[in-house]
Amino acid sequence: MEIQNLFVSDFLIDFGHKEPAITVFKRRRRPIQPITHRDWRKPEIIEFASLFTARMSCNSSVTRVHVSSVGQTPRVPVHLMPCEIEHNGPAQVSQYLTATMKDRKYEKTVSFRGRGLKGQELSCPQGYTGLVLKEINKTGSDQEDRTVKVSSVFDKVTYWNLETAPNSDDTIVMAMDWPELAEAIHGPVDD
Amino acid sequence: MAAKKTRTPNVQNDSWVVIAAESVIDTQKQDSDPAFVRLRNPSTDAASLYMLGSGDVQLYEVKAFEEDFHSWFVGQTVQRDGRLLFVTPMDPLYLILPYLIKSGKEGKFQPVDQVVTDEEFPACSRLLSCTRSLASMHHIAEEKEVGSLKFHRYSQEKTMDWLKKKVERTVIALKKRNISVGEGVKSTTYVKVKSESDSNEEDYLRYAHGLISEYISEDLSKALLTHLHLPELTSPKETEPRSKKRKLSDNPVEAGEDYTKFNSADFARKPPKKMTAAQKSLAKVDKTGMKPLSSFFSPKVKAEKK
Repeated sequence: MEIQNLFVSDFLIDFGHKEPAITVFKRRRRPIQPITHRDWRKPEIIEFASLFTARMSCNSSVTRVHVSSVGQTPRVPVHLMPCEIEHNGPAQVSQYLTATMKDRKYEKTVSFRGRGLKGQELSCPQGYTGLVLKEINKTGSDQEDRTVKVSSVFDKVTYWNLETAPNSDDTIVMAMDWPELAEAIHGPVDD
Repeated sequence: MAAKKTRTPNVQNDSWVVIAAESVIDTQKQDSDPAFVRLRNPSTDAASLYMLGSGDVQLYEVKAFEEDFHSWFVGQTVQRDGRLLFVTPMDPLYLILPYLIKSGKEGKFQPVDQVVTDEEFPACSRLLSCTRSLASMHHIAEEKEVGSLKFHRYSQEKTMDWLKKKVERTVIALKKRNISVGEGVKSTTYVKVKSESDSNEEDYLRYAHGLISEYISEDLSKALLTHLHLPELTSPKETEPRSKKRKLSDNPVEAGEDYTKFNSADFARKPPKKMTAAQKSLAKVDKTGMKPLSSFFSPKVKAEKK
């Protein structure tokens, strides 16, 4: 099945339960309908208590964000892939993804692990900036304060769908509406 | 064929992709770094993650956007955790309000720094440093000045008016972004047949009320509903007639397309799900708008597939 573009084959890549469906059924392409209304499903955006999923930090601990070096931080391309890749760390992304990417008028296409992906570039909402935060000086204790630094910055995100052409119903497109809704919820009210 | 799904838990994650308000990294005033802090969530009463900007002048909310089976490529690295975090400015009054309500039961005017304290969440006193906190206290409390000292007492009446204005602002934003708020739209990923008239004013009010309710207690949420002259939705049947108008897709949701819908916000990664017959029928129920809105908005909802 992995005919071409074997990504670094050490990593397990999981496209989710969609995986068998592609080989077993011939999928019918549906026309993309013009969308006038958007269904912004709120639970996409969820509350969470801690950055650190592995260890619960205690309520009084603080995670400082070093922002002073942001000016010198490299700007990097950022891709949201429609699969879970069991790996954290370096990989030949440009060799296996960006090198074979085709840029069409309304969508980008790429073959990744034998799958046809369709993608689109999104800009960060107005007044917002993309940051990749990375923990530094990892300490063992849960009580201690932690520090994260800005390891990369970005102002555009390329997201990829499996098979479906990018459209305004894609959840990440809708998530980009959140800052504007948040402004309505949190902005100052008139007296 | 697909590798055996023996996925290891993602424990070594120490990196996050964030979209943050530019003011977070504003390096003009560098007296201190911004910091993630844990504070009491006014809706759930449990810990949630927030951010205090440099010098504590601005509070930010931290929310995660998550879809199953997603990972990031950041430059030439892989990040398994496919979540996208949003750091957006937040009104500190939402977090101050529960403390004021609690002390308001005594009916006395009190200095706020004595009211906003929490042994479990010591960072809460820093909320009072936010520029907007003291300046907007009159929206939720009566104020009394004695000499140079200010005292406050919670006012339900003022709070309701303030929350109503919040709802009205939110309705405007929802309309501006063309966000569908009716109930019938939730599971129709492909079929968009709604027309302008389908989302009426009440739909918008209820949706906005639901959004605001994530920042207030359940009691307050109910009181706000009354204040907005919206009847409580007790039986799902009440919502049925309106949603029947909507044209629905006759096709069952196909398993192959299920992934396009955001269907799990759980932190715990779940094994891949197939759409069972039961789920299919549930999806149909969804389309007919049978689910009470209140369940959609319950604070602890984990965006579980319904």
